Formats: sequence, C-alpha cells, structure tokens
Amino acid sequence: MVQVFLPELGENITKATVSFWHVEEGATIEEGSDLVEMATDKAVFNVPAPCSGTIIEIVAHEGDTIEPGEALAVIEEDTVAPKDKEEVE
Amino acid sequence: MQCKIIDLGIIDYLRACSIQKEAVTSVVSGSASSTLITCEHPHVITLSRRSERKNILVDEAELKKCGVGICFADRGGDVTYHGPGQIVLYPIFDLRQYKKDLHLYLRSLEQVVIDTLRDNFGLNAHRRDKATGVWVGPYKVASIGIGVRNWVTYHGLSLNVKTDNKYFSFIRSCGMDVKMASINDFFDDDVSLDSVKDLLVKNAAKVFNLTLI
Repeated sequence: MVQVFLPELGENITKATVSFWHVEEGATIEEGSDLVEMATDKAVFNVPAPCSGTIIEIVAHEGDTIEPGEALAVIEEDTVAPKDKEEVE
Repeated sequence: MQCKIIDLGIIDYLRACSIQKEAVTSVVSGSASSTLITCEHPHVITLSRRSERKNILVDEAELKKCGVGICFADRGGDVTYHGPGQIVLYPIFDLRQYKKDLHLYLRSLEQVVIDTLRDNFGLNAHRRDKATGVWVGPYKVASIGIGVRNWVTYHGLSLNVKTDNKYFSFIRSCGMDVKMASINDFFDDDVSLDSVKDLLVKNAAKVFNLTLI
C-alpha cells in the first residue's frame, strides 16, 4: 500500500485545498498520471500518482484543506509491471 | 534558465491554452526549454474551477452583444477579463531550474510588473499583502493566476496597458471589489503596447535570471 502525501510547495506555504479528483476509489491508475488538482492562493497544481495501482482510499476530499505531508490517498500498488502483465495475459 | 520568447500576437484564448498545454508537455519531458509566451486576447471572461458565476455581473446575452466570450481556465484565482490593450504573459517555466516554491514564483511574477512600471514609467507600483497582483495607488493594473504541472508553470499574468476599463464592470475581478485601471490612465500620451511588452520580457529575464535563446 502506498500513501500519497501532499508535497512541499515552498517556504511559507502551509496549506492547499483539494480542488478536483481525477480518479475515484476503486479506479486503476498509471504511475505519473494525474491523481488530484490542488489549489492555493492563485495557483492550481497537479499531484501525480507515485506508482501504478488501484485507488484504495481517497483520504482528503474536494474542499478539504490540508498541509504538506498530510495524506491525500492510498494506492494498492500493482505487483506486476505493465509489460509483465501483457506477457502473462 | 534558458528560455525562448514566443509572441503569439492577438490570439483566441482557447487556442493559446492549447499552445501552452503542448509547451508544458515538452518542457516537463525535457524536450524543450522554458518558454515565455506573450499575447493579447479578443474580449473574453475566464473562470477557474473555484470561480463563482455570481462574479459575472451581466447576463450572457449582454456579454454576447458586446462580443465578450466566456471560457473555463485551469488556473488559480477567480474570474478575470482579457481583451484588446492588455498584455498577457504566459511563462512556461521549469521551476525545477528556478526554485520549487509556488509563492516565490507568484511574488516574482509581481516583481516583473512592479519593476517595469516603477523603473520605466515612474509609477508607484506595489503589491498588497494577501492579494496577489499589482496595484498603482488604489487601482489594480495586473492580475495573476497560474497553473503548475510537475513543477512547470502555465497561465500567468495580465497587465492592463490601454484596456477599455468598461469591460471590467462586467465582472467582480478576482472575486473582489477592486477598481481596475490601465497604464494609459496615468499618462496624457498614449503608451505603446509593444514597448511595454518588450520591457516586461526584459524584466522577466532579470527577475528569473533567464538566458534568452
């Protein structure tokens, strides 16, 4: 299981708000694709998936304001790499 | 940071968004250098995901009659207006080569405008605490709203040079009760749009330590 955290955004940025989830619980996701859009002051930014897998839990919901280091979601990581998966199938 | 300059002239807002999206993909992948895009837009009101429709103060029929479109913008901030006489800067900057700090980036964008207005026009341009943008006296002259993908920036800032301020009466700019103005309002002689554009690029190079290519 991989917990996805809100990354550090710079000095003096102590929080960001969940603007929009690109995925829902139960969805599969590829490493690097967009998980969620976050917003702070006049900026929106993406948080990409750190691994491929299945979204087990959305921890922070749209409208929630969280701090860097707090959890956004939990991903059950794929144990089979995409290339290996094709060979198995 | 190496940076190329692209002037898109007068360009449809959504077309400019599409160009930015392609540029961001290239910069994120490392296949292109950072890019500073300058342009103007035909009349358009843009709304972000968090914008409230009530901040558009006239109905769509009236906007259509005045030739003003409405577009969604995947950027921060609230509702804003773009139109002729307003310079728009879209820095597609790789913050991994500058500093991965969103607030520093916003303050730096403000500084580009402040330096331009103070050093080249003698205007007392300043920022306001907790209100991103640039003011001259009580008037807001530049608005900022950005997007960041994998630490590469898009959208940016708009500076009113000789904008028809009547169009700002159609919205509650940035969701706030602000008085908007253009640089031209502070001078008797007409201010050249192209000269302001060149000065903004020059000051962006200075603030962001750009090597223009």
